[in-house]
Amino acid sequence: MIPACPLAALPRGEAIRLDADPPIAVFHTEDGELYAIDDTCTHQDASLADGWLEGCEVECPLHASRFDLRTGQVDAPPAKAPVRTHRVVVEDGTVYVEPSDLPPNLPPGVRSRSA
Amino acid sequence: MADDADRGRRRGVTTSSLPPSVIATLPGTYYTDENVFGLEQARIFESMWFCAVRAADLTKPGAFRTVQIGRESVIVSRSKDGSIRAFLNVCRHRGARICTEESGEVRRAFQCPYHAWTYDLDGKLIAAPNLSRMPDIDRVEFGLVKVHVREWLGYVWVCLADEPRPFEEEVQAQVAGRLGDLDAVHNYGIENLALGRRIVYDVKANWKLIVENFMECYHCATIHPELTEVLPEFADGLATQLYVGHGAEFGEGVEGFTVDGSAGVDRIPGVSETQDRRYYGLTVKPTMFLNLVPDHVILHRMFPLAVDRTIVECDWLFRADVVEDGRDIEPSVELFHRVNVQDFDACERCQPAMGSRAYARGGVLVPTEHHIGAFHEWVLDRLGTGQPT
Repeated sequence: MIPACPLAALPRGEAIRLDADPPIAVFHTEDGELYAIDDTCTHQDASLADGWLEGCEVECPLHASRFDLRTGQVDAPPAKAPVRTHRVVVEDGTVYVEPSDLPPNLPPGVRSRSA
Repeated sequence: MADDADRGRRRGVTTSSLPPSVIATLPGTYYTDENVFGLEQARIFESMWFCAVRAADLTKPGAFRTVQIGRESVIVSRSKDGSIRAFLNVCRHRGARICTEESGEVRRAFQCPYHAWTYDLDGKLIAAPNLSRMPDIDRVEFGLVKVHVREWLGYVWVCLADEPRPFEEEVQAQVAGRLGDLDAVHNYGIENLALGRRIVYDVKANWKLIVENFMECYHCATIHPELTEVLPEFADGLATQLYVGHGAEFGEGVEGFTVDGSAGVDRIPGVSETQDRRYYGLTVKPTMFLNLVPDHVILHRMFPLAVDRTIVECDWLFRADVVEDGRDIEPSVELFHRVNVQDFDACERCQPAMGSRAYARGGVLVPTEHHIGAFHEWVLDRLGTGQPT
């Protein structure tokens, strides 16, 4: 498990980018839910933590593909592949992320550092 | 007349060549020379407070207008908190125009159509391809370049200078100087008025011809028959702008500031008894004209695009209830629309002649136009080029 941040440091409506490999975005929705997905859009290297959070979806700030935070699925091109989702745990006021074991769908030109 | 003779001499025209009744205008080249226009762009339009956009046109966060101020395209927009911001319309990456439309609305951010650099409504860089691999890019430092903004009279004034002169000294003092005090203009509550009509004129003339025309009324009896019917004193050719606090009185039997002298619409609440049945015209340098009558306000904004081309955006503003109720504003709009067309036709008639050898040393200003000499002095002073040759 990766410690992300104190829960108090991540207000509703905001996101944080974890410098994991590959990077992970953690979102705190307006409804108070916490979700983690791969931070990098599967179409082009853009940080989804910088995107627009609406309900349980985040819209990529560059080309407006929307990813469902619960499933990682994308709604419409230009992104086609889903992002991975990661389990989020809160313990003693700290947000932790348990990274997925699945291989990530990274955009062209972006490689995992360990790959 | 010593002053006038002096002015003539300083213009390089020998006093003996001009009879004492007249003083010299600027030479024709000041209206045709690209270099002069370039200096005006830098030292006037890009240096002074410039009346750019009607604030109410920016209806909600993300609404924007682009305007040309000097050599710069400027985005004027409403940010998330409702305040108004202005930015140079240039992507910090490779310089592409961000907004190509004259007006529009973005949902959440301005995005460069070239490489998708994306800026929030405060101008901060919020996303770009590969940005997370460039952690040394400061998002504020690489944000859109901000320009100074001020709201007054319901309009957004922007100043492209690094350090603007105080708005009070540069803009408000001009209005107070003409009307006597600022209360006189605040009486009209312009920021609360609604837009009844907007007409945009594409005038093929140098902006200074339009200013000079607005400053004098020597032409009124000749080209403005309808206006002179409503304001008979204009037939004298005496510019109303000459005297502090003076407004031209409506003629006997004239019921309103309309094309046929018929009654206008409901009077603006704050207008005082002394302001009733009068027209006040003001030039607010460099590019704004204000016209005040009891039931509406006509506001001109000029956008000089080239040495021989100026866009004039003219707004007719009325009480909000007058506009909402769909009252007939046509006779009011028609009067000054005709005046505008008559004026701009005259300016377009002058523009081609500015390059003539007959006008190489300029023309003359008759006594009722002598105050235009002060405008010329002001232009020369701003340009800092010394006297025309």
